[in-house]
Amino acid sequence: MIDVDVAVIGGGPAGLAAALSAYRNGAKNVWLLERNPELGGILPQCIHDGFGNFIFKEMLTGPEYAQRYIDEVKKTGITVKLNTMVLEMGPERLIAVNPKDGLLDIKAKAIILAMGCRERTRPQILIPGYRPAGIYTAGVAQRYINMEGVMPGKKVVILGSGDVGLIMARRFTLEGAKVEGVYEIMSNPGGLTRNIVQCLNDYDIPLHLSHTIVNIKGKKRVEEVTVAQVDSQMTPIKSTKRDISCDTLLLSVGLIPENELSKMADVAMDPITGGPVVDEAMETSVSGIFACGNVAHVHDLVDDVSKAGETAGKGAAEHISDKIKKRKVPVIVKGGRNIRYVVPQIIRNEDFDKRITFYLRVNDVEEDVKLVLLSGEKLLYKRKENVVKPPEMVRLTLLSKFLENVGNELTIEAQK
Amino acid sequence: MEDAKLKRKIEKLLNKEFSGIEVSIDDGIAHLSGELNSWNEVVELGHKVGKLEVEEVVNLVTAKEVKAERREKPGLKLPKKIYDPTLPKSADVVIIGGGVTGCFIARELSRYNLDIALLEKECDIGEGGTKSNSAQIHTGIGEHSGTLKKELCAKSWPLYEKISEELDVPYKKDGLLVVLTKDTLPKVPSFIANFVSRTIIAHVIKSKAKKVGDEPRIVKKEELMEMEPNLTDRALVAVLMPNYGIICPHRLTEALAENAVQNGASIFLDTEVIGISPNGEMKKVITTRGEIEAKFIVNAAGVYADKIAEMAGAKEFTIHPRKGSTLLFDKGVGDYVNHQISEMKLPQDPHTKGGAVLKTVDENINWGPTAIETADREDTSVTAEEIQSILKKYGSIIPNFSTNSLIAYFSGVRAPTYKEDFYIKPSKKVRGLINVAGIQSPGLTAAPLIAKMVADILKNGGLEMVEKESFNPIRKKSTVFEDLTLEEKEKLVGENPLYGNVVCRCEHVTEGEILDAIRSPIPALNVDAIKRRTRAGMGRCQGGFCGPRVAEILAREFDIPLEKVTKDGGGSELFVGKTKVSLMEGK
Repeated sequence: MIDVDVAVIGGGPAGLAAALSAYRNGAKNVWLLERNPELGGILPQCIHDGFGNFIFKEMLTGPEYAQRYIDEVKKTGITVKLNTMVLEMGPERLIAVNPKDGLLDIKAKAIILAMGCRERTRPQILIPGYRPAGIYTAGVAQRYINMEGVMPGKKVVILGSGDVGLIMARRFTLEGAKVEGVYEIMSNPGGLTRNIVQCLNDYDIPLHLSHTIVNIKGKKRVEEVTVAQVDSQMTPIKSTKRDISCDTLLLSVGLIPENELSKMADVAMDPITGGPVVDEAMETSVSGIFACGNVAHVHDLVDDVSKAGETAGKGAAEHISDKIKKRKVPVIVKGGRNIRYVVPQIIRNEDFDKRITFYLRVNDVEEDVKLVLLSGEKLLYKRKENVVKPPEMVRLTLLSKFLENVGNELTIEAQK
Repeated sequence: MEDAKLKRKIEKLLNKEFSGIEVSIDDGIAHLSGELNSWNEVVELGHKVGKLEVEEVVNLVTAKEVKAERREKPGLKLPKKIYDPTLPKSADVVIIGGGVTGCFIARELSRYNLDIALLEKECDIGEGGTKSNSAQIHTGIGEHSGTLKKELCAKSWPLYEKISEELDVPYKKDGLLVVLTKDTLPKVPSFIANFVSRTIIAHVIKSKAKKVGDEPRIVKKEELMEMEPNLTDRALVAVLMPNYGIICPHRLTEALAENAVQNGASIFLDTEVIGISPNGEMKKVITTRGEIEAKFIVNAAGVYADKIAEMAGAKEFTIHPRKGSTLLFDKGVGDYVNHQISEMKLPQDPHTKGGAVLKTVDENINWGPTAIETADREDTSVTAEEIQSILKKYGSIIPNFSTNSLIAYFSGVRAPTYKEDFYIKPSKKVRGLINVAGIQSPGLTAAPLIAKMVADILKNGGLEMVEKESFNPIRKKSTVFEDLTLEEKEKLVGENPLYGNVVCRCEHVTEGEILDAIRSPIPALNVDAIKRRTRAGMGRCQGGFCGPRVAEILAREFDIPLEKVTKDGGGSELFVGKTKVSLMEGK
């Protein structure tokens, strides 16, 4: 059995930041376990720019952004284990395997979950038809083109306007492939506005809102897809069906936090975020197990992921040095009007940090709203927003002294 | 009935319902020709004639709405670098078709001192109906009395205990609950229906099950809800058939093929039969990989069985494809049911047992299959209507089941004849051709005895069959990392580090296992074959993470560029070329 202070599962942006932060906050023996042969998570395949605007005040590419953290990790005494898959997990205990060390039986005083997320696949959106080659999720196609140097197809239809799909529309076009169009079942785009502009508009790639794919043809390789407009109930309208000849269907239809290990450790889950319920130190319902980044909820920007990692790393370090004092009465954080979810879902530490950041998403697009923080009837804080959109995560940071006298419930809502 | 009389009887039917259709009778077999409007009419015609005292139906009637079958030109699909075996000049027995039936036959015949060659047109075994099979080991209760299907099924299911042990494939008996609900008799007033279900129908099912050797018992509602807490409240009573089992059809087929090869049989993938011609006492089988002389040909070609028979000059039956679609849910929801469950609804569709909710040997939940007639032998599409009908039908058996865990849906094509029974007999026209056709459910269950039947036919047909002393019925599966204890895992990785490299995150499949599959006696040649052998890519992410790694390993092992790697054989290449290729073309 190997004794460590903090074990971080996942060497993507969340895990890198968490490991560094745990180390810098005093944890001595920090292990970073990564299942890929390299650190960085999804970043090495994100060769476009737009990373690091908040943290480094620069526009970096994914690999550059990751390298900054990797370089920092290398300067520390953090133990990095690559090609290492965690097979089993319970409180304070991990079983992992890699080709070099064999089976690793690890006892950790604190564990940080940073496994990231995975892409939703075709069955989750029930697209009928055949199952030929040529159907890829956007992230998989990105890996193939940017890291393996192979082209998944030449004539592409994209379903879903999530950010990875938009980025890939541009990437395929730059590689000389024809992107016939992006089809989005919702009446609003799923990705960031800047990506709609820079990846579709700039390349004359049409975006068809309120459209979906109703059939896939081709027994061996995709030959054709059928698209249709949907009505307000999202039911395809028969008269609008149209066949498009193509060799590739790219899916960018959402991301799901990867929480198989969290469930194994009986961590309480939030059905809306798909991730563990966490407090402001990113600690889960199981003492000593922390969760950060896309494992907790899916983020838009890597900077926020790194920030969450920092918080979790600090939390883990303080957990093992017994610095954290729990509040007598924890505060339950709830989303009110037009709020889909808020993270953290609970506040339960005293003096954890000077400020506290809430991450939230709205249900519907709304203009000219006030985001308010309420404790019962009492207004604690408000902020004006010109527009709020489901794909764009809202960050609300306030000094923790604001919360000194809250009761046991806090509501965040969007008021008209 | 004599042919002339039979002809008059059929003509009467045709005049009444299917004008313009011609019939002729040849040795008890009805041959139909002409044209109808829809494919459903063609099938209906075949079934109606099949119900009469004909031995089989050759239904060559076309449908106006159906375009002529578009067949790919036969030819080798895989580059020589990936797969290049040499076909022998001759064999005692050539088996056409590497589904579960063909592989069972190959294994059965490998008990004898015979040269056996099995030819499979796809790039893997079990690529047809086998891979989409519902995996149930039936007891025969659902079959009509007097059919060969029922007879073989009832005698065959008890063999599976031994077969699964010999071949080291997972098999379990969850038992089947046939549930009678408030909707079992929809057209009868409910108080009568409830009474009839509890008193009469349950007992009829029980006595039927006894006849096929099962040990059924009637389960009253209270106990039923304890056994299956998530069952619909509409349930009234159920009959438990404890001997209903489940197996993995693909692992079984793979094990059979391996064991056959181990015992001297040869199996050729990517080898399509394109012609059969008589050559004295022998028959010449012409394939995309060359010619082979055979004393006997066993036609186990599934949906193409009639085409193969026709190639040999024996039009004796017609296959009408009937597809079945299934929804597959992730592991981890497996606790939701403890038995196979089907809801009885009367009247029943005569051509399907109606499907079931069941838990696979890997603890995934399966809903399905459907039963839909199709003119296309390779129609493995799943339609929106099918998905909705499955969700509705099975969602009402176990309500509150979260369908979010759906990870795949697929379809397979059954290969029934119009008599809707197995057709296992020597050809009437062509000596040395044995047709093993019409193998539909419960074909998987009956396969061990189908194979024995074929061996008997060969013996009676004059093939000298001497049992080999060296025959070894035992086959060991290759390593499954996930199934090992921690100590075993540690030891294994110590011996071979490749078992410590987890490639598939969802199912914990290691590089070592993938290499085992590629190097097995029936090599896995593509991404889907690896998925079926090892489960890599079968989990919740459906190959999102491991797909690129598996493709890389295939490219490395076969020493081919990545863009030559296929999903499931030639034509299903994963990539169109290297990056920048489209840009170059533009120049």
